[in-house]
Amino acid sequence: MKSPLLGEFHPPGGKPHMLGSIQRIETPMHRFSEGEEVDYAIVGVGVGAGGGVLLQRLARAGFRVIGFDAGPFWDTERDWVSDEKGAHNLYWNDLRITGGKHPLAFGANNCGKGVGGGTVHWASFTPRLHPSDFRTHSTDGVGVDWPISYSDLKPYYELMELELPVSGPSYFPWGDPHGYPYGPHPMGGVGDALIRGCTKLGIGVSAGGPVAILNGSRGDRPHCIYRGFCIQGCKVGAKASTLITHVPDAIENGAEIRPNCMVSRIHIGRDRRVTGISYFDPEGRERFQKAKAVVVAGYSIETPRLLLNSACPGFENGLANSSDCVGRYLMAQAGNVVLGRFEELVRMYKAPPAHALTEEFYETDPKRGFARGFAIQTVGPLPMAFARQMMTAKGAWGWGMRSVMMDYNHWASFGFLGEILPHAENRVQLAEEKDRLGIPIAKATFTLHDNDQKLIEYGKNKTMEVMWAAGATEVVQEVRYAHLVGAARMGSDPETSVVDQFGRTHDIANLFICDGSIMPTQGSANPGLTIMALAARTADYLIREGNEVFTSHKPNSDKPAMRRDLSPPDTRGHGMPRI
Amino acid sequence: MAQPGYYPGFSTLGQQKFWDAKTRQVVLDRVGNVPEVRFFSPQEACLLNAVCDRVLPQDDRDESHKIPIVPQIDRRLFENSHDGYQYEDMPPDREAYQLGLRAIEKIARHRYGCGFLEIGPQEQDEILRLLHDGKPSAANDIWKRVPVHRFWMLLVSDCTDAYYSHPWAWDEIGFGGPAYPRAYMRLERGEAETWEVTEKRYDWKAPENSVSGEFEPVSGQLEHLGSPGQGGTH
Ligand SMILES: Cc1cc2nc3c(=O)[nH]c(=O)nc-3n(C[C@H](O)[C@H](O)[C@H](O)COP(=O)(O)OP(=O)(O)OC[C@H]3O[C@@H](n4cnc5c(N)ncnc54)[C@H](O)[C@@H]3O)c2cc1C
Ligand code: SF4
Repeated sequence: MKSPLLGEFHPPGGKPHMLGSIQRIETPMHRFSEGEEVDYAIVGVGVGAGGGVLLQRLARAGFRVIGFDAGPFWDTERDWVSDEKGAHNLYWNDLRITGGKHPLAFGANNCGKGVGGGTVHWASFTPRLHPSDFRTHSTDGVGVDWPISYSDLKPYYELMELELPVSGPSYFPWGDPHGYPYGPHPMGGVGDALIRGCTKLGIGVSAGGPVAILNGSRGDRPHCIYRGFCIQGCKVGAKASTLITHVPDAIENGAEIRPNCMVSRIHIGRDRRVTGISYFDPEGRERFQKAKAVVVAGYSIETPRLLLNSACPGFENGLANSSDCVGRYLMAQAGNVVLGRFEELVRMYKAPPAHALTEEFYETDPKRGFARGFAIQTVGPLPMAFARQMMTAKGAWGWGMRSVMMDYNHWASFGFLGEILPHAENRVQLAEEKDRLGIPIAKATFTLHDNDQKLIEYGKNKTMEVMWAAGATEVVQEVRYAHLVGAARMGSDPETSVVDQFGRTHDIANLFICDGSIMPTQGSANPGLTIMALAARTADYLIREGNEVFTSHKPNSDKPAMRRDLSPPDTRGHGMPRI
Repeated sequence: MAQPGYYPGFSTLGQQKFWDAKTRQVVLDRVGNVPEVRFFSPQEACLLNAVCDRVLPQDDRDESHKIPIVPQIDRRLFENSHDGYQYEDMPPDREAYQLGLRAIEKIARHRYGCGFLEIGPQEQDEILRLLHDGKPSAANDIWKRVPVHRFWMLLVSDCTDAYYSHPWAWDEIGFGGPAYPRAYMRLERGEAETWEVTEKRYDWKAPENSVSGEFEPVSGQLEHLGSPGQGGTH
């Protein structure tokens, strides 16, 4: 057996809490004492994409904050593996019921559990929404308009692209054209196929990004080593997750993280304001945390579940639900996977799954007979996922499964990402069943509508066409859905939405939501960057409002000025957008 | 018997010194510590073994290199771990397996007049083919409680999970396996790293009278029944 030059690999350093192969948490974490009223308390519930960014900013601005997460506070050297099956525990595997005509699959398909949330296992494609996404109702007569426009979010997009940071081409031509602060990544076999297919058909491609993966080392984060395990958690620390980009700075600034604590209820006082939360500590004891304001950031299933489970006298239908919109307008993107077999070898397990995409079909084209559009992106399933795809896409089993799997290295795969519109009947409700803590579990109902089905049919065929054009000798596809958002949408009208443009619930002045569930429509961009940009904006609002949040009943609807001084250290002044 | 697949001599385990400690521990544990059967009864385990032998046949592997499937399924059910969701029209996984096994046995008796264990591999394939096609010829009372296409996908994906998470299967398909802290350097044109093996193709054929060597979409109506892809990709 050959031996590594520098000897067999052992974790660096020994004891400290590792975030990636080099970064470690040096400062001891502040701990609020038992029963302490956390003054200026804003309790983030769930430290994921949205929660992580918000927590960091509030801590930096001097608020006393606690972030609760139902899952662990990962030490990436101790807890993560470079192995598909071994990564099972990164996902939210607690039971959910799924139904409707097109039931969604959860688990590895949707949501994280643990500090960093879904950003721990995301592929980290980080495109922005297009300006048209904010007004689909006015321009296309479908969906609903956002209470803000692209220009409100644009500076926050730019800021987040520096903080993660995002690598990509210096000119990204779609939506609002822009450039990326860090250069694009080299191609893997799948990206090559996408470029080949698109070029043949005269379709533009963005090669090497936008992805939140480092292409050169920076500070205490090394560059990508192209090992292809992004979805299993990046042990290297090259792929951004709020666990390694924002949480360390939050701790440095006095925030507390309470991992393995499942929040079960939000409490309401006599003045119809939030007073705190109940949670189950790691030993399973139910505890109370007093808080002057609560921010829920638990993802599109857990956020509505918590609001519905917190029903109490005066809020019989759940908190912040006078509009009956909590749980409704749940969306997922159509995420069909198109697989092509090539005569030559591809070895799609190398390079990050996310490294090239096209948004050429993003906007409405009346000629196609449906509203809105889609993107086509690289994906890179590892063997277990690929076998499941062969099961659904080809009906493989038995010797057929064995033989197609022996050809694993000959296949490339594209992910189609299509906009599904919001529908009131697609929703999260509470099921009869309870989880091991006695909390009613969530039930999701999902059914496609006419426009959705037409869009999927067209987009799937177009994606297959690109795969053929790339030179594939066989092309198959499987139906899939990705990226849940919605179910607590923002809007200006309290009758038809749950929160305002800053994430403040219309019904309860000191209860906020800060995650993907507030998105009124989803476009066909992966949602992560948008969730983080919205979180940074909510943070600016809360910081400007200061004490007012804890006392006032009349929400201020003036936009806050953007704070550029709240970024984690070393992220400002590096890498400039090129446009 | 030679190692199956087109990558003769390729051994991912042979690279374990280049893996990080935690990954090494998890993968070696998978190979070395095959769990006891604790959830299924001995009879159920026996029957499931015969079923899995057809759903993922390993006749081309010598005894000492067969990849354990039933112990992995059993462990999952014993620990009640799952993928985080349950279809509205499905019972919990444990019940689905027990019912599904009973139904398979019933179909065998209905069709061949004896149990699944007593019929030959081709007949066994025929029965599984009925499940794949969504047209079971008996045990309708059970299939009313467990939609047959969902049971089929549950069974197949549990088998493929167990098989393709094993390093011997990685050697067979030429997958590089764990890759941290060492990187991949040859990203394009399917080129092999210095420590990988280049493909040597030969004409691989499924055994003569096997039923499962060809491809047909599950139930022919998957989309209508709305079973989405199961793997996380993007
Ligand atoms: C395989 C895969 C690939 C993906 N790839 C991409 C991609 O390339 N680009 C992209 O933009 N997006 C991608 N996504 C989607 C992305 O991960 C999510 O959209 C995003 O993380 C959602 O952010 P969030 O803040 O809403 O919730 P999350 O990030 O999921 O965070 C929610 C957190 O809250 C915690 N929590 C929930 N309820 C409670 C409770 N009651 N008490 C305590 N804690 C609680 C959870 O444990 C979790 O950590 C991908 C998803 C998957 C599954
Ligand atoms: S491919 Fe790069 S970003 Fe992805 S897990 Fe590997 S090192 Fe991390």
